[in-house]
Amino acid sequence: VRLAWDERDEAFRDELRVFLDEHCPDELRRGRDFLGGQDEIPVWAQEWQAALFDHGWMIPSYPPELGGRDATAVQTLLFLEELASRGIPRSLHFGGYAIVGPSLLEFGNDEQKAMAPAAIRGDTVWCVGMSEPNAGSDLAALSTRAVLDGDAFVVNGQKVWTSYAAIAQKCFCYVRTDPTVAKHKGISVLIIEMETPGVEIRPLKQIGGSSEFAEVFFTDAVVPAENLVGDLNDGWRITMGSLAHERGGLWVEGVFAALRAIEGLVRVARERGVDRDPVVRRKLGELYERAASLRSLGYKGFSSFAQGSSAPEHSFMKLSTTELRKELYRTAMDLQGAWGAVVDPEWSSEGGRWQHAWITSLAGTIGGGTSEIQRNVIATRVLGLPKG
Amino acid sequence: MDFSLTDEQEMLRDTARTLLAKECPPTLVRACIDDPAAADELWQRHVREWAVLGDGDLVDHVLFLEEAGRVMLPGPYFATSALFLPLVRAVDHPLAAAAAAGEVTGTVSMADRSGQWLVHDEPMHTFVVDADRVDHIAFVVPGPAVAVVATSDVRVQRIESLDLVRRYGHVDVPTQVEPVPIDPQALSEVLERATVALAAEMIGVSSWLLDHSVAYAKERVQFGRPIGSFQGLQWKLVGMAQDHERAAAAVAYAAMAIDADDDDRRRATHVAKAAAGRAARGGAQDGMQVHGGIGYTWEHDLHLYLRRAFASDALLGTADWHHDRLADLLLG
Repeated sequence: VRLAWDERDEAFRDELRVFLDEHCPDELRRGRDFLGGQDEIPVWAQEWQAALFDHGWMIPSYPPELGGRDATAVQTLLFLEELASRGIPRSLHFGGYAIVGPSLLEFGNDEQKAMAPAAIRGDTVWCVGMSEPNAGSDLAALSTRAVLDGDAFVVNGQKVWTSYAAIAQKCFCYVRTDPTVAKHKGISVLIIEMETPGVEIRPLKQIGGSSEFAEVFFTDAVVPAENLVGDLNDGWRITMGSLAHERGGLWVEGVFAALRAIEGLVRVARERGVDRDPVVRRKLGELYERAASLRSLGYKGFSSFAQGSSAPEHSFMKLSTTELRKELYRTAMDLQGAWGAVVDPEWSSEGGRWQHAWITSLAGTIGGGTSEIQRNVIATRVLGLPKG
Repeated sequence: MDFSLTDEQEMLRDTARTLLAKECPPTLVRACIDDPAAADELWQRHVREWAVLGDGDLVDHVLFLEEAGRVMLPGPYFATSALFLPLVRAVDHPLAAAAAAGEVTGTVSMADRSGQWLVHDEPMHTFVVDADRVDHIAFVVPGPAVAVVATSDVRVQRIESLDLVRRYGHVDVPTQVEPVPIDPQALSEVLERATVALAAEMIGVSSWLLDHSVAYAKERVQFGRPIGSFQGLQWKLVGMAQDHERAAAAVAYAAMAIDADDDDRRRATHVAKAAAGRAARGGAQDGMQVHGGIGYTWEHDLHLYLRRAFASDALLGTADWHHDRLADLLLG
């Protein structure tokens, strides 16, 4: 048990700091709570992702040709920590580098593996077709149908909550290829070009007003058979991998965003003149306790993970950090009293930042596995309770 | 931050767990309710040699205290190793060596009538842990300074406590003894260490509560199936596990921060005790609910842990008190 990493790791962190100081675009230095919602990816964001890749800082554990530098697990953690503590994202569209790239490398054939560098560098923008109107938490119930007809699949159906679909060139799409077997056993993954005739995208306006999600409709869309990823009807295994890739380092971001939010709450409390109020003080103390203890839990889980043991701690992190963030931002609104209802940039604390953060945080306990699903999973897989 | 244990630490924990499971069964703990001397032999033969942990790295001491909390170890271990020894060591008192060797036992007398562990000049101290069961009492008096007195030379008044196993007393502060000055910083470090040590013991309490509640939910059948298959109970148990896990991590971190004399040590201490208090109290209440009627019986051990959880939260600062101290550090 020790507090500091070794010298080699600290040198790694120093090198990263120099890189960030030199290359990070001004737009990302503001430490905003959330990004996204753009209708298109700004040039500075494309350049930033490419710079990270070219300097081996996109996915540090990967080899240089995949945007990394063969970093160790500890170094990867230091990397995530440094970015998260500054509130700097690697990309404005996480699907490509966090889900599609790693999945192609793990499950794809040689030709598909060759698509991974562009996915990670952001040269190709990907969306991931998972959720459907009747397949949300019950993802395996998806019904978008792909029928093999000669050397092509014909795809019909609908996806929803598809992030970045409106700006993507390709879709990593989960489809039903065998409706006659148990639902987990008839799913496959297809790479679908968004330009394909029969693919229609309708942006989905969210409660915050932006449209990073879309509905995607498939009507007799013809997809070449070689676009199948992995084996036919073996897609569920890939789904599980996708979700694991998505979750791997997210706790770091969640914890540091929570700690940054507490610094913000201190500012708001002072600005609104409630920083001497004993109720406010106790609440902020409690929120800090939760954020700080979750930071320790994340690192503890990482320590087991880095030693090759399983890390049940990490099952709690998605659930706990997203629930905490909702409460943090709601508290920021409470601290503003009547002004919590005002989003006018001229009148609201920090230009309406907290109201925006609060609205966005509501998605955190829904997307990527709802809090309720997380609790069910922890109950059965971590505590070993019998299935209901 | 690396939380992994060394081989020696794993061995320490496993040895302690095996030893205490064997030598400190619930029957012995219950015997101490009526007669605290029932644990004397356990102390003499098996536990006193572990007192030395109070002299070394807190991360090691924490491992033993978690195991002690899990079995609700009775006797003078906590008071001697987590309160008395660090304080007398900080003032280089000659009894420190004997306390570390487990040859003498002791406790610390400091809290005022409000229960706060702050230096004050009231003539009586209270919340003195196991005051009537130890050889020596180290008083913290204005200065700040420390006066070590044989228990036989002071008036101790036992006060009945919610916790049936851990005893509290009021003690009159002796006037004739010449106290030794202690650096205020050193005193606050002793208290930080004691607070994290207590939080560690509470992690043992919440782990007992979680393990037994999960096990009971798997065994108990109603409506033709184990009650642990019902979502309402599953989520309650998940909540207990969530609070327990993050409190355990917070305690391990606080111990590391104190050992490294890190700048974060004070915050980490408040976080650890508050998180441990929440986990233990919540685990006791929800564990009671999971156990249903059987948990409400005197025969079941659950109420011993329920009592310990609430009493320990109240000792050395409640979760609310530690939240307020965190607020002081955040907001000034």
